[in-house]
Amino acid sequence: MTDQVIYDRGYRTYDGPRLGPKGARRAVYKDGVRRVLGLGRKARQKIFPWSLIAIALIAAAVFVGIHWAIGNIEESLRQEVPTYGGLFDFYSGISLLFIALAGPQLLIPDRTTGVLSVYFSRPLTVDGYLTSKMGAFATVVGAIYIVPQIVLHLGLALISTEGFLPYLGDNVDIMWQVPVTTAAFIALHGALVFGLSAVIDRTGIAAASFLGILFAGGAIATRVAEASFPGSRYASLLAIDQHPRIIRDYFFGDTIAYAPELAGFEVWVSIAVIVGLVAVAGFFVRNQYRRLA
Amino acid sequence: MTSVLEVSGLTHDYGEVVAIEDLNLEVPAGVTGLVGANGAGKTTLLRLTLGLLRPTSGSLRVLGHDPQEEPLVVRSRIGYMPEGECLPKDQTAADFVSYAAQLAGLPSSEARRRSSETLFLVGLEEERFRYLGDFSTGMQQRVKLAQAIVHDPDLILLDEPASGLDPEGRVQMLDLIRRLSRFDINVIVSSHVLTDIEQTCDWVVMLDAGQLLRSGPLGGFEKLGTVVVEVLEHPEDLAARIRERGIDVVVDERRLVVGPGDESIEQIVVAAAAELDSGLVRMIRGSASLEDLFLSNEEAK
Repeated sequence: MTDQVIYDRGYRTYDGPRLGPKGARRAVYKDGVRRVLGLGRKARQKIFPWSLIAIALIAAAVFVGIHWAIGNIEESLRQEVPTYGGLFDFYSGISLLFIALAGPQLLIPDRTTGVLSVYFSRPLTVDGYLTSKMGAFATVVGAIYIVPQIVLHLGLALISTEGFLPYLGDNVDIMWQVPVTTAAFIALHGALVFGLSAVIDRTGIAAASFLGILFAGGAIATRVAEASFPGSRYASLLAIDQHPRIIRDYFFGDTIAYAPELAGFEVWVSIAVIVGLVAVAGFFVRNQYRRLA
Repeated sequence: MTSVLEVSGLTHDYGEVVAIEDLNLEVPAGVTGLVGANGAGKTTLLRLTLGLLRPTSGSLRVLGHDPQEEPLVVRSRIGYMPEGECLPKDQTAADFVSYAAQLAGLPSSEARRRSSETLFLVGLEEERFRYLGDFSTGMQQRVKLAQAIVHDPDLILLDEPASGLDPEGRVQMLDLIRRLSRFDINVIVSSHVLTDIEQTCDWVVMLDAGQLLRSGPLGGFEKLGTVVVEVLEHPEDLAARIRERGIDVVVDERRLVVGPGDESIEQIVVAAAAELDSGLVRMIRGSASLEDLFLSNEEAK
């Protein structure tokens, strides 16, 4: 069957430092980031994530270029070109594709290949495993949102007529508004994709389910909310992909009115929906994995 | 350290199904075989040892620690080789074993170094940068062993380690396991292949339906064979006299199979034959395999 031979060439004991559970969590986190980005994997697993990252960065540079070009023609026209809030729409499209790929990759292969039996024989708890995976997810997806925004921010500062530092000083709120909005997108999408990946064993099906719930579910919820029967407005809350967009609009100005807004819900309701979804998904995923450990 | 595993009044059930019942056991340092049929409670005992299951009652101590109280301390000192598939197909052997070392708390630079050394040890130095999905079953078994020992654990739990190996690979794997004990690594090998246990272990623990059949040194078991006695006359009388001493006897015409038991059987047979004035033609001790003992224990039960 195999011509490999086991040679006993000795064994070296290890007396160096052992980092314990902290080291185990860090290892899961690092492996999660590497897996999502296809590092240490075959070339085909690198193509999709790095293509999306490249598109996000190029788009940011293009937006800066558009601002610069239009500013050279007529400075007042730059007000019409989308900046931070508008770019969230563009990036959230890219990040949705990325999340649909990355979320299932983070959880499903570990479960279906049986490697969890190795992980949980190490000083690693279920909570440590899941938080490390979530951390890896948030790091990479957060970078997809935030790094292009940084490129945009610095680019706009460079071409600003008022000067680089004054522009940064005038737009200091961006420094927390972008991360908070990003956190809202990551929390909602992460909760959904982790919840699905905890029960679905095929990455493709999990990805399709994720996108289906966001797009088809959102459209159906919007239609039901528009119907005129008692309590129908609450159906608008099921258009879950619209909640982080409402938070984005709260910071960066309205683009369009989303279903929950049309149904009369304030922004805090969207925050509550996201928090609730994260709590429910967290509880569900944790219970699933406690059974597996 | 004298015992790597101490089990006291341990019971574990899965609802209606009792997997382990009132188990008392002490496993010394060295290489120990854990044998039993499917459903005997071997895997449950391993999972309890890792602190992954909570006992219904009773307690156990692993390397002096309670896995319920200090599960992470226990697991940082144990290496575990699962029976089933447990390898990610899209990682190289070197990356996976290095990752397994980091999961046990080793810094990444040291983990990479030990990964190479350990894969060298198990004979996969040439293949360490190949993806695990391209490995044969035998090579995968070696990677599973490598990840179990890469962090220099004090105790390794091996679940069917020779499964899927060809005869030559099987001998080499068992030999390697045997040699691990020389590096002060204690090993518990769970297997249903009793010859593997005989070739590998110093101590054997037999489980059946969650209960302990026998626990003791393998060398001691080998002495507990049967004795075949051939007499000139009165075989039934001699058998009855021997049975009075509490020893099993099967009579087949003028031949008696006495035991199993230790060397005192021969003395008892000689004394009984002398009392009955029955002539002994021959008396031969048969060697008992672990399988014989396992089956005889099950029958007795």
